[in-house]
Amino acid sequence: MHNSKAHIWFIAPAIILMIIILIFPLFLAGGISFTDYNLGNKTFEWVGLENYDKMFNRKTYVKMIWATATYVIVVVPISVVLGLCAAMLLNSLRFGADIYKTIFFLPVMATLLAMAIAWEFTLHPTLGIVNSFLANGCGGVREFILGFHWLPWVDSQESWYAVACANNMDFPYWLKQKNTAIWTVCFIGIWQAFGFNMVLYLAGLTSIPRELYQAAEMDGAKSTWEQFKLVTWPMLGPTTLFVVTITTIRTFQVFDTIEILTKGGPSKTTYVMMYAIFEKAIQQNLTSIGAAITVVFIGFILVLTFFQRYVIEKRVHY
Amino acid sequence: MGTISLKNISKSFGSTQVLNNLNVDINDGEFLTLVGPSGCGKSTLLRIIAGLEQQTSGDVLIDNKNVNRVRASERDLAMVFQSYALYPHLTVRRNLETPLRLRDYNAFERLPLIGNFSPSKKEKTESINQLVNKTSETLKISELLDRKPGQLSGGQRQRVALGRAMVREPVAFLMDEPLSNLDAALRVHMRSELSELHNSLKTTFVYVTHDQAEALTMSSRMAVMIDGNLLQLDTPQEVYDNPSSLSVAQFVGSPKINIFKGTADSGGTVGFLNVNLKRKSSESNTDLHIGIRPEHLEITNESNENTFSGTVAYRENLGSDIFFHVNIEDGSNKIIVRGLPQFTHQISNGSKVNIKRVSDKALLFNEAGMRVQFTNA
Repeated sequence: MHNSKAHIWFIAPAIILMIIILIFPLFLAGGISFTDYNLGNKTFEWVGLENYDKMFNRKTYVKMIWATATYVIVVVPISVVLGLCAAMLLNSLRFGADIYKTIFFLPVMATLLAMAIAWEFTLHPTLGIVNSFLANGCGGVREFILGFHWLPWVDSQESWYAVACANNMDFPYWLKQKNTAIWTVCFIGIWQAFGFNMVLYLAGLTSIPRELYQAAEMDGAKSTWEQFKLVTWPMLGPTTLFVVTITTIRTFQVFDTIEILTKGGPSKTTYVMMYAIFEKAIQQNLTSIGAAITVVFIGFILVLTFFQRYVIEKRVHY
Repeated sequence: MGTISLKNISKSFGSTQVLNNLNVDINDGEFLTLVGPSGCGKSTLLRIIAGLEQQTSGDVLIDNKNVNRVRASERDLAMVFQSYALYPHLTVRRNLETPLRLRDYNAFERLPLIGNFSPSKKEKTESINQLVNKTSETLKISELLDRKPGQLSGGQRQRVALGRAMVREPVAFLMDEPLSNLDAALRVHMRSELSELHNSLKTTFVYVTHDQAEALTMSSRMAVMIDGNLLQLDTPQEVYDNPSSLSVAQFVGSPKINIFKGTADSGGTVGFLNVNLKRKSSESNTDLHIGIRPEHLEITNESNENTFSGTVAYRENLGSDIFFHVNIEDGSNKIIVRGLPQFTHQISNGSKVNIKRVSDKALLFNEAGMRVQFTNA
């Protein structure tokens, strides 16, 4: 074994492929990000950190980081918690679970492009089903519930719903309005992501030994909450770690919905990183700045992965 | 106090009847073993006592209180599971503390951080610590308290599981095959430890096992269950010497009891092979099964009307005893005979041997498998 060189032949193809299609482009992008190179140019100049300087000082890129952060911070926790809740509810069902599983998993399987177009119609300010649903509900139960009139401190004349009804059905232009666009995109992101998380959690739940719940019951853990704290949550630790990592990386990569629904607008409120890379490097042929954004993007992912690998992993595997 | 009564317990899963009208009274401080082959419903019965499973009909009484509608966590029983079911993310200390925390702390005190502001928590924590220390000393696991279950050997986990059950001082302990995951040597060792533990705690133990040796060695009474029926409930010695039916006789005792086909004539004289028994059967003119345990047969040099002969097919040497698997001459039976090494070491596979029986030890069973007594005359 020690004298044989055969092992090199076994690993070489994989290593060569990895270098060509993963590592080399990465370093190339890193290199380009320090130049003013654009695709098609014959020459380039080294510009040092100028591209990065732009990124952290120009308003557009600050907005980009802001939009990306908002999207990740909203979508990850909500879709993870929703996924867990849905999985636990389905797990407790005796029948009908398969139907719900299919329904919740549908957005994951469906082509995001087609789904995004469907959402565009749904959320259309005048023709969309959402706003016509709201308009038809003026003065009724829908207004009471969605206008939060059931909360004691909400004045039923002043709620957003009542105001919109009073102003000739002036409901939000969901995707076209600065203060709602990012939240609407987040909502679609959650809708799309939580089914996948649910399936992962369902798998995690089935691997918890039933005897642990019985032991908890014998030890006096009476409420569902106690059993969740004592058994379910700790035993789902590895699943949660995986789900959070995967969801975070996927939300960082959000692109399709943005491209179809908002194109980064209005006024860059939904200008997430992946879309910025696409717009700069492909549409505007500013290869070097695109490369710089890519490097920052990879940096985020790397930090996340290291954090997962070395900090959290130690706490969830027993 | 720790009496448990089961009255007319039946249980079925769908159309499958797993428990059939069982009645058991378990006395305070007793070590009762539920023993039977796998699938006989013994674990289900234990889980019904625990409250983890609901019986289809019948009543469970703990300390003469009907607990049919009381959930498991409120029956004040402790259970040791076959897989131990320790919380893998908690240290041994926290595992032992868990039942006490759940019982002693109120909902507010169990909250992280702000729970510490409760004035009574400190006192409770101290008493919990004392109980945990006391239990871990009894079980000799004090040095393991800071480890997690994943870092323990099977035997150590077993002790921790016992400790988690003991620490709360419950009305009774329920144990579901707690030794079956241990290696053979440790299992034998733990038998004696469990018996000692029972003697010192003087709490009711209900112990489920498929291993008749565990039942015989540890219990004050054993309940033999087969196919959802309770066949016999008595002291181990009585079950062994005086089994109520053929199935019990065959289940209890290792190696298995030898069964011969025989008949009782009109006068009640029992005959099998070429041998007639001295004692008379109480049932006459019928086919019978005659059961004789391996230790009640001897290999002998004599050859007379009380002996029969056969060929040794296999010789099982256990050191202290040698068991001979013998094919009887007429080919109808394969029987097991115990021999003492000092007299029988020269007998090898294929030898022809004569076998005689120790008198007054045969057991009679009728065609239906029920026990038939000898007449006293």
